[in-house]
Amino acid sequence: MEIKSADLALSGLTKTYGHSLAVDNVTVRIGTGEMVALLGPSGCGKTTTLRMIAGLIEPSGGDILIGGRSIVNVPVHKRNIGMLFQSYALFPHLSVGQNVAFGLEMRGVRKAEAARRVTDALTLVQLDHLAERLPTALSGGQQQRVALARALVIEPSVMLLDEPLGALDKSLRESMQVELRQLQQRLGITTVIVTHDQEEALTLADRIVIMRAGKLEQIGTPQEIYSRPVSRFVAGFIGASNFLRGHVAGSDGGTTLVALQGGARVTVPTQAGASGEVMVALRPEAIQVQPFAGQNDAAPNTTQATIEQIIYRGSLTHLYLRLDDGAPLLAFHQNRAGERAPAELSPGGRVVARWTEENNHLVADR
Amino acid sequence: MTTDTAPSLALPQAGARRPLGRARSGGALMVLPALIFLVVFFIVPVAILFSYSVLTQPQNGVIGLPLTLSHYGHLLDTPLYLHVLAITLRISLWTAGLSVLLGYPVALTIVRGTPLVGRIVTIILVAPLVVSIVVRTYGWQLVLANNHSGVANWVLSFLGFGPAVLRVMYTETAVVVGSLHVFLPMMVLPLASSLARINPSLEEAARTLGAPAWRVFARVTFPLSIPGLIAGLTIVFSLTAASYVTPAILGGNYAQMLGNLLEQQVVSVYDWPLSSAIAVVMVVLTFVVNGLSVFLLERRLKTRRRLSEAR
Repeated sequence: MEIKSADLALSGLTKTYGHSLAVDNVTVRIGTGEMVALLGPSGCGKTTTLRMIAGLIEPSGGDILIGGRSIVNVPVHKRNIGMLFQSYALFPHLSVGQNVAFGLEMRGVRKAEAARRVTDALTLVQLDHLAERLPTALSGGQQQRVALARALVIEPSVMLLDEPLGALDKSLRESMQVELRQLQQRLGITTVIVTHDQEEALTLADRIVIMRAGKLEQIGTPQEIYSRPVSRFVAGFIGASNFLRGHVAGSDGGTTLVALQGGARVTVPTQAGASGEVMVALRPEAIQVQPFAGQNDAAPNTTQATIEQIIYRGSLTHLYLRLDDGAPLLAFHQNRAGERAPAELSPGGRVVARWTEENNHLVADR
Repeated sequence: MTTDTAPSLALPQAGARRPLGRARSGGALMVLPALIFLVVFFIVPVAILFSYSVLTQPQNGVIGLPLTLSHYGHLLDTPLYLHVLAITLRISLWTAGLSVLLGYPVALTIVRGTPLVGRIVTIILVAPLVVSIVVRTYGWQLVLANNHSGVANWVLSFLGFGPAVLRVMYTETAVVVGSLHVFLPMMVLPLASSLARINPSLEEAARTLGAPAWRVFARVTFPLSIPGLIAGLTIVFSLTAASYVTPAILGGNYAQMLGNLLEQQVVSVYDWPLSSAIAVVMVVLTFVVNGLSVFLLERRLKTRRRLSEAR
C-alpha cells in the first residue's frame, strides 16, 4: 500500500462553547509522516481538537491546513481523513470485508479493484482470513485492526486516532502500540493520536503536545518533554516527579544555587534569569538512597531523610521518603533481575538521598 | 390485537446481549403471572371466538353443532364484505407507510436534537395520548368537515382556494389522517429507541470514510434502525386494522372497516358466528401482513449482505 500523506497545520485553532474556551488558540505544525500525540487530562480539549481536524466539530476560530490547503470549509466526507474511534465504530450489520470496503464504495471504486484493495488492507493487519465474519465475532484487538484497515484502505492524507487502544487490556494495548507504530512508520502517514495515557504517548509519538485547559502547555519530543518539562503540570503528567521549593541563593558560571526550604541546597544547570522563589523538578529515578552513615554531608544535592514506606513494583522499588522539614521525596530504586531493595533500607530508617546536578531542572510552578 | 407485536421481539437486535444464566432460572417464574393472565383473558376467549366461527346459529339463537365453514364462505362470497376487507387493508397500509415517512424525521429529531428539543418534541408527540381517542377524532371531524365550517376548508378559502374545496370527510383519506394522528407515536417511539441505540461514532465513521449525509442514513442509520421500524410498522398496522372509533366517526358509511362491520353484526344483526368469523379474519390478516413485512425487511438485510459479499 502506498499512501501519499501530507503535512497538517493547526493555526490559532479555537473552539468556544458559550463563554468557555474548549480549545484556546492552538498552533501546531505536524510534518508529513510524523506522528504526534495530543496528551492531557480529560477536558483539556485534545479530543475537541482532533474532532475539529476530522470536521466533526466546527472551529470557532483559526485554521486547519492539510498540505497547505485550508480544510475548515470542506465537509467531513470530502476531507479524506482516516479516523479510529475508541469504540472501534465498525458497522455491525456489515461483514469485516464490507466494513473495509465502505470507504471505497463511497468513492465509487470499481468492484474488482475494491476487492483487491480490501484484501491488501486486511493482509496488512493480518486479518485477511476473517473477511467474511461479522465484527461482533471478533475480539477487541481484532476489531480495532479491522477499523485500522478500513481507515487505511482509503489512503487518507492524515490519520486521526481517538484513544484507539483505550478499551483494550494492558498487555494487548502494548503490543498493539508497537504494531501501530511500525505500520505508521512503514506507511509514512501523518498521524495525530489523542490519549490520556502518557506511556502510550511516549511509545507512539515522534512529538508530544501536552494540553491543559484548552491551551498548549508544551510541544516536544518524548525525551524533551520528559527531561525538560516546562511546568510542574507537565513534569507531573509525564512520569513521576519531585518538586522542591526554594529560592535562588547565588550563581556562578555554569550553575545556579538554590536553597531549599528545609535547609538543603541544590545546584541547577544555569537557566538565564532565574531569581527569587523557584521550583526544582527532580525525577525519582535520579535519586540514590543509602543508609545514613553517621556523618553530616553538607554537599549540595544531598539530603537526609526518613523512609516512610517501601513499595515493591517488580522492576522498581518505590521509596517514599520524608525530609526533616516534612517535605516528601520519592525515590525509585532499580531492582536487578527483580530482586528486592537493599535489606538495610527499611521503613523508619534514616537515609541519605543523593543525586547529580544535571537531574535538577527548574519548572514553572503551574 | 396487542399480541401482534410479538414478531418484532424475535428480531436479533444489535447490542442487546442477555446477561448469561440470570434469565434462565428466574425467568419462567417471572413470566408466570402474565402468562396466566394471557391464557385466561386472551387465549381462552380467542379459542371460544374461533369455535363460534365454525359453529351454527339456528333461528332460536342458541349456538351449537354442527361444525361449518359456511360463515367464512359467506364472508368471502359477499362483495360488500370483501370491499370492507379491502378498505381495511388499504387504510392500514397507508397509515403504516405514512407513519414511517413522518416518523423518521421526528424520531431522528428526538434522538439527535439537543436534549431540550428532544424533550419538547416527545411531549408534543405523546401529549395527545392523554386525550381520549373519541374526543380527538371528533376534533378531526371539526377540522376536516366538508362544508365551509370545517377548519381546513375555512383556512383554504381564506387563502383564496374557494369555498369548501376540501372534501375528505367520510373518505378513506380522513380515516388515514385520523389514524396517523392517533398512531404516529407508536411508530416514533420504537424508532427513536432503536435510533438511540446506534452508537453515534458509527455515523461519524461513515462520514469520515466519505459518505455524505444521505448515504450515511441509507447505509448505516436506516439498516441499524430496522428493528424499531419493524416494531413500529407492526404496531401501527395492527392497531389501525383493528380500529373502530376512527372509521366510525371519520369514515362514516363510505370508509367502513372490519371493526365497524363486526360491530354491526354483533349489535344489529346479532349474528355471532359471522362476527366471530370477521374477528378471526382480522386476526389472521394482521398476522399475515406483519409476518410478511418482517420477512421482507429481514430478507432485504440478508440479500444486501449477500450481494455485497459476492463482489
